[in-house]
Amino acid sequence: MRVSWSWLMELVDLPTPQDPAEWEERFPMLGLGVEAVERVGDDWVFDLETTTNRPDWLGMLGVAREVAAACRGRLRPPQVHLEESDPPAAEVAWVEVADPRLCHRYVGRVVVDVRVGPSPAWMADRLERCGIRSINNVVDVTNYVMLETGQPLHAFDLDRLVGGGVVVRAARPGEVLVTLDGQERRLHPGALVIADRERVVALGGIMGGLDTEIRPETRRVLLESAWFHPVAVRRTARALGMRTEGSTRHERGGDPERARFAAARAAQLIQELAGGRVLRGELDVYPEPQPPRRVSLRPARLRRVLGVEVPDDEAADILQRLEFQVERGPERWVVTVPSHRRDVEREEDLIEEVARIYGYDRVPETLPVEVMGVGAVAPEVDAERRIRQLLLRAGLTEVLTLSLVRADDLERVGIPPDHPLRRAIPLRNPLTQEHTHLRTTLLPSLVEVLRTNRARGNGDVHVFEVGRVFQASEAGWEERKAVGIAQMGRSLRGTWNLPQEAVQASFHSLKGVVEGLLEALHLQGWEIRAEPLPWLHPYRAAGLWVDGRRVGWLGELHPEVCERYDLRGRAYVAELELAPLVEAARAIPQYRPLAYTPAVERDLAVVVDSSVLAGEVVRVVREVAGGLLEACEPFDVYAGPPIPPGRKSVAVRMRFRDPARTLQSEEVDRLLDRVRAALQDRLAASFR
Amino acid sequence: MQERVNALRQRAAQELESASTTEEVEAVRRKYLGRKGELTQLLRSLPQLPPQERVAAGAALNELKEWLEQRLRERAEQLRARERDRRLRAEAVDVTLPGRRPPVGREHVLGRMMEEIRDIFRSMGFEVVEGPELETEEFNFRRLNIPDDHPARDAQDSFYLDDEHLLRTQCTAVDVRVMPRRTPPIRVVTVGRCYRRDVVDSTHMPVFHQVDGFMVGEGVRFSDLKGVLAEFARQLWGPETRVRFQPSYFPFTEPSAEIAVSFRGRWLEIGGCGMFHPRVLEMAGIDPERYTAFAFGCGVDRPAMVRYGIDDIRLFWENDVRFLAQF
Repeated sequence: MRVSWSWLMELVDLPTPQDPAEWEERFPMLGLGVEAVERVGDDWVFDLETTTNRPDWLGMLGVAREVAAACRGRLRPPQVHLEESDPPAAEVAWVEVADPRLCHRYVGRVVVDVRVGPSPAWMADRLERCGIRSINNVVDVTNYVMLETGQPLHAFDLDRLVGGGVVVRAARPGEVLVTLDGQERRLHPGALVIADRERVVALGGIMGGLDTEIRPETRRVLLESAWFHPVAVRRTARALGMRTEGSTRHERGGDPERARFAAARAAQLIQELAGGRVLRGELDVYPEPQPPRRVSLRPARLRRVLGVEVPDDEAADILQRLEFQVERGPERWVVTVPSHRRDVEREEDLIEEVARIYGYDRVPETLPVEVMGVGAVAPEVDAERRIRQLLLRAGLTEVLTLSLVRADDLERVGIPPDHPLRRAIPLRNPLTQEHTHLRTTLLPSLVEVLRTNRARGNGDVHVFEVGRVFQASEAGWEERKAVGIAQMGRSLRGTWNLPQEAVQASFHSLKGVVEGLLEALHLQGWEIRAEPLPWLHPYRAAGLWVDGRRVGWLGELHPEVCERYDLRGRAYVAELELAPLVEAARAIPQYRPLAYTPAVERDLAVVVDSSVLAGEVVRVVREVAGGLLEACEPFDVYAGPPIPPGRKSVAVRMRFRDPARTLQSEEVDRLLDRVRAALQDRLAASFR
Repeated sequence: MQERVNALRQRAAQELESASTTEEVEAVRRKYLGRKGELTQLLRSLPQLPPQERVAAGAALNELKEWLEQRLRERAEQLRARERDRRLRAEAVDVTLPGRRPPVGREHVLGRMMEEIRDIFRSMGFEVVEGPELETEEFNFRRLNIPDDHPARDAQDSFYLDDEHLLRTQCTAVDVRVMPRRTPPIRVVTVGRCYRRDVVDSTHMPVFHQVDGFMVGEGVRFSDLKGVLAEFARQLWGPETRVRFQPSYFPFTEPSAEIAVSFRGRWLEIGGCGMFHPRVLEMAGIDPERYTAFAFGCGVDRPAMVRYGIDDIRLFWENDVRFLAQF
């Protein structure tokens, strides 16, 4: 709402002159945000941001009322003295409301013998200052009165209305209207329209029709000043993709009481500026006038809610300055709400009114007297924090990616059409092709992070995200959290003289991150086993299983996907469900006594068929070595001479310990014999 | 005898001096003090000396022996030090080569700010919770006193999945989910993602973050809201920070206010707040006559831009590692 300071000052009587420069700070303290201030000649124009609950602020009088209240001044509304002529308006025009749900009040005024022409400069200037182009004296008056009162008006050329009147009704199927802007509008059934006997002539409260507009030759004018239902106006405007000065005001819900005043004011101005005669009486359809609302207020509660000792007299004075009537009782006051403040419905609204004019800045800052408890963090929030911290410590950098993805992102990243991860939930009303679905996995977003960085020459990227993923399932829509990891390039800096394989991201560097996380969380019973996945390198992929349930996957991104994203190298990706990790993270780890007896270490080079996995060797060792085996880990894998072709050597280091006594070398030798026999038997192993 | 002692001392001294390894020092020791060493033999021959010479000779030889043992030790130590130094010198490193740097993980700047915010409210006795991003109209709107025909319900502004489901447009939805499950006093805060149908530009993204919290109790006042948010602002923005509350409008609070903080000489709008509307409390099964409540919702992304001097909101989501490494 653009507000001209000089115009505003015409509408108030203030005890002390006001400096407009100060009002850049003062308007916001009343709830009127200042978007911009502009000097126009010796006038100031404030672009005020008004809240949706205050339709009265979309008129100069509404803003003036606020300024008067804040300055302890008085409102000075324009005086209307109409000289009416015969015949009565009702004899030459008619107004009808066919659907009272669409329109609560419709006031019509008829002005005849007008001479349409340009507006005087003062009016054209004012309109322009407030952002409205001058058209002609009649149309300008409707706009001027709208700016003044907040009540949108429309002027019809009465002679072009078939049957000499208008009806407010819902559009019928197939109806079309060419609006003032020359656009042909196809109306949906139910749209709020104004029609004459034959056809639609205006979109109620939004825009008039071209055919009935005021033209130079117009002689008889039917003025419309109505209260259309906000929802009806909004629906119609949205359906047609329109937004006008009128629709904005109607959508907020104005004041039916002011419709009469605005119609008379406009008729008077037309008479002044365009000549003509105002016909006697108004055409007023107002089947159910609203009685003024009465709301009770307890001053004690006002003070309790605000936390400030506003004296009774001051509270009552503030309300009266805002044109509320106050009947004070001992504990409870009865406050009558003026018709322009239909937003005030209950006690809290009155408390806000008092607080607003009293000044939010005069309310002290206190801390709650409520016993301050100790803060807490929900377990899942706490667990997520720990998981983030562990991944950060593992050297991964946190990223945030959008939860909205393109429809084809999942395909691009290699997820086949029938895969459950393709069951993405679509947005019903996406804004762009970039964001049409909710992501089912963090994978596409993380690969996109790799791509962006690679394209900008950042080759070393080691990132993770803890975020939500969404999926449609038989049960409905699921929302859960996942941990995603993506790595490419070197994970270490300062790598001169180091062998590349020790420095570059690899399947096992990724696996190490995952293992480290699971171990730090004391997750029990997990296993990582080979599992081909369509988006991963078929021989460098694995699933993570916990207690017989698959809760994640990891591996090298499929070379074709890498190529599609132009990664120019290998990339490693993983995704884990957060829930099982959260559960584990919540458990309190229990102390296990330390063993102080010496351990015995033995190495064994196991030569097996190339197809045998290191994990199988370790599993056999674990199964047969018994309870004294403390640890067993492969430390060297080798193929090549002197190992025969088709076979490889897996060297494992075993550590034996009995916490109660010192182990004898011979005992360990006997265990080792059993281990060898079992390996030989089950894996056809030989030994080096 | 004294002459022989002197000669021997002089010779031993010279030999020690020319010894260049600990082995050669050992050879000198053997030559004089070994079982058949020259000094050993002289000492062994003492009893054959006439008694009147024996005392003086014995003293001279023992003094020589002590002297020689000490010199041997010193020389050996000296050479050991020299050898050690030679060995270590061969191990010299080039201290100007870059260090081997294990990766240091960095929090995303928004992730970090959200952690800070959680910590601040936790320290003020709030319980940190979370709620779903996929919301229903019931919690996202109706329970917040936003009726079906309210402009905020406009599908233009929200991402809908079907008639009843949408992506939450604010975190206040979490408040009204949590409230019915607890009995006052309640102090809860949540930090998370919200969605709005905004075209991407340097200050808008369809996904953004919010911190939202509320407090319900028998004596919760508007002044408490000011106090708690002022304290929060000072914790996050620095002890000198001032907080400005200006009247505003939200369907779910009454009175309502906009919050701005002073930062580097200008006002930065960070969010909205107010006293929960009695209807909201009623719908959550809380008696608004007995209890009052304040609530607030603040942005994270745009304040973070100002705090860290970031001029384009898209940088948060691009995840360029050069950007991420700066925080």
